[in-house]
Parts: sequence; C-alpha cells; structure tokens
Amino acid sequence: MGFFDTILFPFKWLVSWIMVQFHDGLTFLGLDAASGVTWTLAIIGLVLVIRAALIPVFVKQIKAQRGMQALQPDMKKLQAKYKGKTDQLSRQAMGQEQMALYKEHGTNPFSACLPMLIQMPFFFSLFQVLSGVAKANADNVGIGAMTHDQVVQFDEATIFGARLSDALLPSLQGGNLTVAIAFLSIIMILAMIASQFITQKQIMSKNMSEEAMQGPFMKQQKMMLYVLPLVFGIGGVNFPIGVLIYWTTTNLWTMGQQFFVIRRMPTPGSPAYREYQKRREAKGLPLLGASKKKTEEEPEVIPEVKGQRSQPQRKNRKKK
Amino acid sequence: MNSSQTQGSAPKRLTAVMNFFWHVPRNILIIVLKLYRRVVSPMYGQVCRFFPSCSAYALEAVTVHGAVKGSWFAMRRIVRCHPWNSGGIDHVPAPVHVNWDDPSTVPLIVQLNHPHVFLAKQQETQSRNSA
Repeated sequence: MGFFDTILFPFKWLVSWIMVQFHDGLTFLGLDAASGVTWTLAIIGLVLVIRAALIPVFVKQIKAQRGMQALQPDMKKLQAKYKGKTDQLSRQAMGQEQMALYKEHGTNPFSACLPMLIQMPFFFSLFQVLSGVAKANADNVGIGAMTHDQVVQFDEATIFGARLSDALLPSLQGGNLTVAIAFLSIIMILAMIASQFITQKQIMSKNMSEEAMQGPFMKQQKMMLYVLPLVFGIGGVNFPIGVLIYWTTTNLWTMGQQFFVIRRMPTPGSPAYREYQKRREAKGLPLLGASKKKTEEEPEVIPEVKGQRSQPQRKNRKKK
Repeated sequence: MNSSQTQGSAPKRLTAVMNFFWHVPRNILIIVLKLYRRVVSPMYGQVCRFFPSCSAYALEAVTVHGAVKGSWFAMRRIVRCHPWNSGGIDHVPAPVHVNWDDPSTVPLIVQLNHPHVFLAKQQETQSRNSA
C-alpha cells in the first residue's frame, strides 16, 4: 500500500460502510437491491451524512456573522487606516490587523480550514471505491466495508443504462462508450458546473461587502469564476458517474446553504445585506445594526485595549 | 548553501547538484502549494481563521524549514484550524538562522506573512533614499 492508500484506507472503509448502510436500508424499504437507483440514493445518502455532520460548523459560522456587527466601528477605523493602500504588503498588513481584531472580539467569520479539507479524503475515497469496483469484481475481493457480493451487485447496477463506475473518457478510450454513458455523464457534468457556478456567482454578486469587492483577490476570483467550469469540465470527463452524482449533490447542498445565508444572515455591507435591511424596514422590524449597537455599546466601552492593541504590534515591528 | 563559494569550480558544481537534489522534495511541495493557492483557494474564498492563512503558513513553513519539518508544522496548523479555535495571528516558528535585514533575499511568502516587518523596512529604505 502506498502512502496515500494508507491514509485513505479508513476513509474508504467509512465511505463504503455508510453507502452499504443506506443501500441495505433502502432495500429494506422495498427498493431493488441490484438497481442502480438504490446505489445512487446510497451515494446521495453519503453526501447527506457528510454535510449534515458539518452543520454545526455552519451554525457556528452564522453565529459569528452576527457577532460581526459589534466590531464594525473598529473595522471602519482599520479600513480608513489602509484606505488607498493597494500594494500587496499593505493589504497583508490589513489582513493581519483584521485577524487580530477578530481575535480581540472573540468572533471570527471564517469557517476554518479543517472542515473543508476533511471533505477531500472522503471525495478521493469515493473516487477510489467507484473506480476500484470493476477491478475488485474481477479480483474476487471486496472494497472497504463492502463484501464481494455487494461489489458485484454495485458493479453491475445500472441507472438509465449506465453503470455508476462508468466514466466518459475512459469508456471512449476503452471503446465501450454507450449513448447512455455519454448522455448521463454530460448531463451530470453540466449540472455539477452549473451548481458550482451559480453558488459562486451568488456569493460574488450578492454576499460580498464593498471592501471585499474592491480587494486585491477580487480580480483573481472573477477569473476563477470562469476558469473553474473549464477545469471541472475537463476533469469531469474522467470522473465516474457516481462521483459526478456525489459532487453535484454536495454542490446543491452548498447552494441551498448559500441561499439561506444570503436571505437570512448576509455579510454586513453587501448588496444582500442592504436588501435584508430593506425587508426588515418594510416589516417594521428594527434595523439589525442599530438594535445590536445599543445592547452592545456598554460592554464595548470598556476595552481600552483598542488603543493598546496597536501599540504592542508597532513595538514588535521595530524590534524585528 | 553558500559554502560552495570557497572551493574551486568542480566541487562547487557538485554541491550545486547535491543541493538541487536535496531540495527536490521541498520544491515539489512549494509548486503544489502555489498551485493550490492559485487554483483551489479562490474556489472557496477565505475560510481560514488565522493570519497567515493555512496555505500561506504551509508555504512559508515548507520554504523556510524544508519538506519534512515544514509539512509537520503545516499539518499541526491545519489541525488547529477548526471552528472552535478563535483563530487570530499565528506565525510559522522562525528558524534559528533567520536574516531579514535584506528584503531582497527573503522569499516573497515570508515577506507577505510578516507585512509589518517588511513595510517598516520598505519605509526605512525609502526615507534613506530620499535623505
């Protein structure tokens, strides 16, 4: 076993185990055990489990967004300090001070790297499970928690005439490309790209503050908006249909979450936020920023830390 | 790295070759990390709760400490970067032989991860030039 296989082994086991559980459950409910539909639903079940496990992360992030109101005054000061300074070092310096500010207020709007990175081994494992099915069938072995019988069943299960482990380009190269594989792959690739694109576009056009939109990363991000569909299109022709299903489902989940965020707790200073405030006004509810300030002004007065905070940094700067 | 300058050209070339191979793992990781920062990072926007961000931290760690130690630092940072950590400023541990006096010799990522240090240096040189 190679280095990556060793790392992926537990994930592979878990991925296949979750899928088998869903498959058995659905079979128990009366679905055909050998049907590709049942295995497709098992893959969707896997997505639901992984994304549901990440809900606490999402909730944490939403709560942090609310806390952002309290540090708006400090943030404004910081923005004024770096106004017009567009060189890379200054932007970085601003980023650093911003982080210090979040830390000081005990709130952080970002969701952290670990939850994002932890999804990757799951994805690679699924990829390995799906692309390894044909080989495991031939070698007479199981995969992870899947028994050999289940592997055979999975390998032979078809949805709309295509197997879940079929991929567009490898089938084409192998000379066994069918209309079903081509059709289903292309539909799924388009769905995957569309869901990704819409989510990204939504975030960029609605849920970014003006400062972020004028920030140094915006140009790059705008370019990626159009480059990524290309990358996924090229990558997608190599993906088994099962992986495409996984990816599209998880994208749709992200999209749903994003719609919720844009509607209910938009980033302060973004177009979505202004719409949100308008809706609140129309309903006669107090504006979010105004109502928060009054309650939080009193504890906020105490931190003379504000003045102190920038000082130790400056000393530090000179020391080095 | 500079020890080769004292000897003749043959050993010099040998050290250069050895250096090249010694740094292959590190340089591969640097390329991978730079690609990640170019291609994957923009997909997610900012998610990191720290300054420098995890990928910037990893790039600096690997650049400064090499493939093995750098990866170890990077891994520990990623494990720290979870929603229940309040985040904030968290720099790569500086190596013993750090020399930041001449910014032109410092890798860009190190400069970007210590903006205040190098902004100050920039101002120093600017005021020196104008004086």
